[in-house]
Amino acid sequence: MASNEKRSWFWKNIGFWFVPARSEKLGPEEWAKVLKRSQPAKRRMRRLLALLWVPVLAFEIAVSLRVVRLDPWAGLMSAAMLTMVMGLAVRALRIGFAQVSLEDRAEMEHGEEFEALKEKQRGEIFQRAVRDGLFGRVKVDEREAEQRLRAQGAAYRLLGPALVVFVAGYWGVCLFGPFEATRSALAVTAVVVTWLVALVLAAPTMIRMWTQPDEPGETAPVPE
Amino acid sequence: MYKSIMSLHNRIAVLRAERKLSRATLALSVGVNPQTIGFLERGDYTPSLELAFKIAEHFGLPVEAVFSPRPFRALSEQVYEAHKREA
Repeated sequence: MASNEKRSWFWKNIGFWFVPARSEKLGPEEWAKVLKRSQPAKRRMRRLLALLWVPVLAFEIAVSLRVVRLDPWAGLMSAAMLTMVMGLAVRALRIGFAQVSLEDRAEMEHGEEFEALKEKQRGEIFQRAVRDGLFGRVKVDEREAEQRLRAQGAAYRLLGPALVVFVAGYWGVCLFGPFEATRSALAVTAVVVTWLVALVLAAPTMIRMWTQPDEPGETAPVPE
Repeated sequence: MYKSIMSLHNRIAVLRAERKLSRATLALSVGVNPQTIGFLERGDYTPSLELAFKIAEHFGLPVEAVFSPRPFRALSEQVYEAHKREA
């Protein structure tokens, strides 16, 4: 095992992260850090991050609104960029949930604990984990699929009343706001928004109507 | 939110320990992620019928020996009683 005690602070804290990808030698301290960081975040931390997402989203909206006043096209670009960044972050989180830890990979691939592997084997496992994380090559097994489905269902149930409140607020602003000159144009947008919300809320039922198979329809007992 | 009313108890952890199997090995054999085995053992996830049968088949046991809607009695207790009956 390499001894990296004489390395710089930068190497020990940041640089070493890039080393396994080049299959160079790490010390036990660095591998311990890699292993520790590869563990899934605890629920408390995940909840904190989920809460932090709300002010980040508010900040993004504020930035986009500021830019759009200066130039509508720049506003569109800004909104698209911020949405893309958020989309990538959400994708990374989704991949993280289904990602197999380094210890489990070691057990699955070599039948040994990660710490018992040779330097080269550790490097290969780490490289593969990084690649799988980047390209989203994770196994979505039945539990992961069910968790996603449940989360989507919960999000939809939250979204329903929130959208109804939003539409009511939108109509309130359109009808009673100080926009005499543009009131009729605003009302048109309110109709469109209402229609869109109705479409979104009715979509699951419509999809079910489309996909549900026919019932067998056998009501009488089977004749002997 | 929909929540499963019936929680399913299982003996996966005991069977794994008995056969010196790692989570990852069992997961590989039944085609799920290793963390899913962990969630099953902790009772945080109820498996599909297909997965329950795969796990039981892996251990070479009937499904009711691995999964039960009621809590399992300790294996040692059951073995001792069986021995007593035989005697």
